[in-house]
Amino acid sequence: MAKSSGDGAVGRGGFLKGVALAGSAAVAAPVAAVAQTPPAAPPRSPSVPAVPASAGERGSAPPADDDLTQSTCVSDFMVDVMKSLGIEYVAAMPGSSFRGLHESIVNYAMVNAPSMELITCTHEEASVAMSHGYFKIEGKPMACMMHTAVGLQHGSMAIYNAWADRAAIFMITANQIDVAKRRSSVPWEHTAQDAAAMVRDFTKWDDAPASPEHFAESAVRAYQFAMTPPYEPVLLTLDSDLQEDPLPPERRPRIPKLVLNAPPQGDANVVAAAAKMLVAAEHPVLIADRCARTPAGVTNLVALAELLGAPILDAIGRMNVPWRHPLNQSSSQTAIIGAADLIVGLEMTDFWGTTQRFVSPRTEETRSRLQPGAKTISISSTQLYMKSNFQDFERYLDVDLPIAGDAEATLPSLIEAVRSLITPDRRRVFDARAAAFADAHLAALAASRQAAAVGWDDSPITVARLCAEVYAAVRNDDWSLVSGVDFQYRWPQQLWNAEKHYQYIGDAGAFGVGYCAPASLGAALANRKYGRLSVCIQPDGDLMVANGVLWTAAHHKIPLLYVMHNNRAYHQEIMALQAVANRRQRGVGRTLIGTTLTDPNINFAKLANAMGVYSEGPITDPNDLGPALARAVARVKRGEPALVDVVAQGR
Amino acid sequence: MNAMIARVLLGVLLTLPLASTAFAQSTGPAGDPVRGKAVFMAMNCYLCHGTFGQGGGRAGPKLAPHPIPANLIMRQLRHPALNMPPYTIVVLSDAQAADIIAYLQSIKPDKAVKDIPILNVR
Repeated sequence: MAKSSGDGAVGRGGFLKGVALAGSAAVAAPVAAVAQTPPAAPPRSPSVPAVPASAGERGSAPPADDDLTQSTCVSDFMVDVMKSLGIEYVAAMPGSSFRGLHESIVNYAMVNAPSMELITCTHEEASVAMSHGYFKIEGKPMACMMHTAVGLQHGSMAIYNAWADRAAIFMITANQIDVAKRRSSVPWEHTAQDAAAMVRDFTKWDDAPASPEHFAESAVRAYQFAMTPPYEPVLLTLDSDLQEDPLPPERRPRIPKLVLNAPPQGDANVVAAAAKMLVAAEHPVLIADRCARTPAGVTNLVALAELLGAPILDAIGRMNVPWRHPLNQSSSQTAIIGAADLIVGLEMTDFWGTTQRFVSPRTEETRSRLQPGAKTISISSTQLYMKSNFQDFERYLDVDLPIAGDAEATLPSLIEAVRSLITPDRRRVFDARAAAFADAHLAALAASRQAAAVGWDDSPITVARLCAEVYAAVRNDDWSLVSGVDFQYRWPQQLWNAEKHYQYIGDAGAFGVGYCAPASLGAALANRKYGRLSVCIQPDGDLMVANGVLWTAAHHKIPLLYVMHNNRAYHQEIMALQAVANRRQRGVGRTLIGTTLTDPNINFAKLANAMGVYSEGPITDPNDLGPALARAVARVKRGEPALVDVVAQGR
Repeated sequence: MNAMIARVLLGVLLTLPLASTAFAQSTGPAGDPVRGKAVFMAMNCYLCHGTFGQGGGRAGPKLAPHPIPANLIMRQLRHPALNMPPYTIVVLSDAQAADIIAYLQSIKPDKAVKDIPILNVR
């Protein structure tokens, strides 16, 4: 192990000693005199231990045998473990508790192949949400680091979003466990005895490894757990000293090999029973929420639907089915569910809610949309793992045939079971059914286009026009819509033609505001190496949560087109407040107080520009939108982010 | 015809102008469309239904062009189904409601789909 170079640099131990000496000098002699001329008997506080006048700290003689410098460290090994897992990026806002690992990433990981890049974030919520979005494109975890008590609390909302969205993230926080090593009050305030406790309700697994061996084992285990459906975030709490401890080569532990579990399939007998019900049904329906995550998932869901001539309703948790597929009947969900005699829910978030309709907004009374006698089948991996405190498991639906298993992984066996049961007579029925649904799909598309034309030239710009203009600007490229569509009336789902699994990735999971801007950027980061054109329709309220993400986009040159859906309000909350005000017969006149983002209006173009992002707007004339988008797309295709601020209607 | 597909097609047809024109008849008090637009905006109807009544998905259904009959609009205002706030006579007079209805009935599509190239792309 290398020792002090004797150049006067103050190492970790030396700094501590300096503090101690300064403290003693305050009591007695001037510190400079003490330091430069070792006194025969320097005055010293009784509480300060005697410290030899180290030559290493004076620059004139060989250093004492202490730890001013070191040539190995555990955090380099930690990096090797993370690289063995295939982690490409680590997002972080800096925090001293993980400075050891931070230093290893920038001076060891980033300069040695395979490279691991540190993504600088300005808020831990952004670090987590970027990792969330990255997972949904890349299909594997990105890492993020969070300072313990303060950083992890910042990140907690984004962790909950990822949890509810079944997204795997490899998360790290760090603690100064040893009280004797906490130098001032701040490390105390930034330390938690059980840091993971604050997010344990919405992480799949966590650990606080105590040694390099322990870290290696727990890192691989955490990754394996995260990547077994249901996919979820995992957390390791690293001791600050452990990161910075030396690790001589002879003590370097082996890195356990990572072998991922095959996604769990539904039981074969139950799958066979489901197939029998599907083939016998006259009006079967497939509803997919977070079903497809790979090209195979999309292909197999389509194959099952085509085999049965059955409609698919896309609950838009993922890109489940091509948006222009003839059997995609998502625009007619109410009618489809009301006529169904069998509904198969695939990785549904709220299967119960999908089958209900509200009767009274005041009493929250609901009635079932299902026909009497209609049956339900559920295929979901969330049956295999769930927690109790946070209620994202939604209301219980008494499903007739629950199948505990990953829906995408179960589809191939379900397809084969269905195929084996189809007789020629049923084949003819299914083919006729499919042809009729194709006509219905075209009629729905025509209706959507007709509806989109209403208010085409109005200002504020209609959301339909906004979405249509964005599609026109990107449709000839290999685009990827990395934001949700729920707050845009699902216009992209109605008007765009998404076919590939990466062309849509769903939304936040828990609807925690502040997801969209950073998660979209994380997805764009994943899309970058494939040369895809990432586009995000960005709500204004969401961007105001952590808009430093724009700087991250510019700094790391992540190509992403942000198109602001700037309705100058927290629109969802306006509706809620109006309902209460009118129920109380006080009128809606004052319900914009506290729910709008006006006076002054936010100029997102200037905001983006200040962060180093090319920007256009604010655009209020719809005829200006297409040319502005074209200019912004050109910038994005050159490898940089761009933002177009569009003043648009609420929904 | 398959019962499910019949329901789907009926639902789609009801959104198309030709199918709903027959319903666009006023049975309530005469209103003023110009005043109606002002009320429509002042009462924040546009926030959920759009400035042209074009609708906002789950936030608020499409109202125009070709609105449902006036008496049904009035019933929805006073005793709303789903999540719409109730607009009782205390917060919205009959005359104001009539003006809103007149405005909705006056709305015409400003462009045909065939005249908007980007709505006709694959």
